[in-house]
Amino acid sequence: MEGFEGASSSSESVLDLSRLNLNNNSLDALSEKRRKDTKQLYLCYNRMTVLPESISLFSNLEFLDISNNALSVISEDITRLTKLKTLIAKNNSLNDSSLPKDFGSLQLDVLNLSGNRFEEMPSQCLQLLRLQSLSLGGNRLKSIPAEIESLASLELLYLGGNQISSIPAELANLPSLCYLVLCDNRIQSVPPQLNKLHSLRSLSLHNNLLTYLPREILSLVHLQELSLRGNPLVVRFVKDMTYDPPSLLELAGRTVKSKNLAYSHKDLPSHLVNYLDMASKCPNPKCAGVYFDSCVRHIKFVDFCGKYRLPLMHYLCSPECTSPCSSNPQSDADSDEDNSVPADRLQRVLLG
Amino acid sequence: MEHTELIKPETLQDLIQALHEIFESDRVNVEEVQSIMESYESKPHEWMKYARFDQYRYTRNLVDEGNGKFNLMILCWGEGHGSSIHDHTDSHCFMKLLQGQLKETLFDWPDRKLQGGMQQKSQRVLLENQCAYINDSLGLHRVENVSHTETAVSLHLYSPPFQTCQTFDQRTGHRNTVKMTFWSKFGERTAYAGSVSQENN
Repeated sequence: MEGFEGASSSSESVLDLSRLNLNNNSLDALSEKRRKDTKQLYLCYNRMTVLPESISLFSNLEFLDISNNALSVISEDITRLTKLKTLIAKNNSLNDSSLPKDFGSLQLDVLNLSGNRFEEMPSQCLQLLRLQSLSLGGNRLKSIPAEIESLASLELLYLGGNQISSIPAELANLPSLCYLVLCDNRIQSVPPQLNKLHSLRSLSLHNNLLTYLPREILSLVHLQELSLRGNPLVVRFVKDMTYDPPSLLELAGRTVKSKNLAYSHKDLPSHLVNYLDMASKCPNPKCAGVYFDSCVRHIKFVDFCGKYRLPLMHYLCSPECTSPCSSNPQSDADSDEDNSVPADRLQRVLLG
Repeated sequence: MEHTELIKPETLQDLIQALHEIFESDRVNVEEVQSIMESYESKPHEWMKYARFDQYRYTRNLVDEGNGKFNLMILCWGEGHGSSIHDHTDSHCFMKLLQGQLKETLFDWPDRKLQGGMQQKSQRVLLENQCAYINDSLGLHRVENVSHTETAVSLHLYSPPFQTCQTFDQRTGHRNTVKMTFWSKFGERTAYAGSVSQENN
């Protein structure tokens, strides 16, 4: 969907060589002046298997579209394009070893590598620190690297149509991310840390393997689009799942915390002080309890605007502790008692 | 009823003109409309000015108001964009592909005693220049651009025009009335910016 957004591009700076049956040598015939004047170059729908060396002579190039060729490698020559901001290379035969070593030195804002054969996110992509938009849709990615967090300027991340089975928590460390597409993958759960994506406006999760979402997702205040179709979301109340009884250490720790007993490094070995400091507060606002490692996974249905029941999951300190809304664990939860989330926030999330 | 000669419209303007003539009558011949829409061969330079995309979801761009008899609009679908399951408020709906492909999934109206979610009746992929038709008696549908690499553009005709429709939660059959808005009208971006979509998908 990317178009050239350069300021008032005159027609002289746009060179459209798409759909011309061009092969690897076809750029050689252009004059030096033509090459220097060109800011946008379209080479899509041709028959190139490699990018011609002469691409490096387009010294003022800002936008390059080489989609729908037969490229299996992008040569080092591209790294000479110091002004290149947008590179579209959809629908080629690029794989994990196709990008040149110094690809990360380009000053790209937008990179679209969808419809190729990448099995891993190329490390060179993670060096493009100015990147605002990255698309690797329709590839063969099995995972998202934790190093994704280094793309601090990223606003759009399109990873739909891959084989991704989990989302690293580090993805949440992208402060500018507005649009996250993870549809058509094999994702079974969403890390609760994703609620740190304060800028997130649209989240696409359709056609995955989700049975519930973490309750923390409710705190994504700017979220306006959420797609969930094609997931095996639980529809009926799920009775609390397996519960490992707490250890003696945990029981002692709970007592210390709930009775507010003072403790310090003078009284206890440091590993116990650290343990006590790690207590998690039970999310049930009517429960003052804490838990450490032993908790109950509880699924509550939150009703959005009287429209949909979204199964949200959170942890409670014990099976006896219930959320305010599920007075009868056998029935579906009634959302009107969900007073921990402001009503206007609930209204702004769309799902189905 | 007079039978309009079916001359193949060469341009989008020809098509709009032909539709105005066909809809002068009060009765809609579905096959006639479908056939004439299908026979227009999409030429991007003719509709590009209406084809405004939004990063986050599909857009509806009004092209012609059909003298009050119909609304003609262009919908722009980014990669992965899809609609909710929806009805057509007792109107005829024609949908022609101008660029790319769209998947249409048909559903029956949900039974009040729904168990196991709304089941799809059938699905198909519509190719460039094909024109599909639906109305409430035929059921409900969801339309999606399932491509991760290509955008899609479709031309829709609704007669009579309508401003609200119902969307359905596939898991429960629960329905919700939503107001439909235009991203642009006659090529100009509407002032109704920043509105939150009421659809679910």
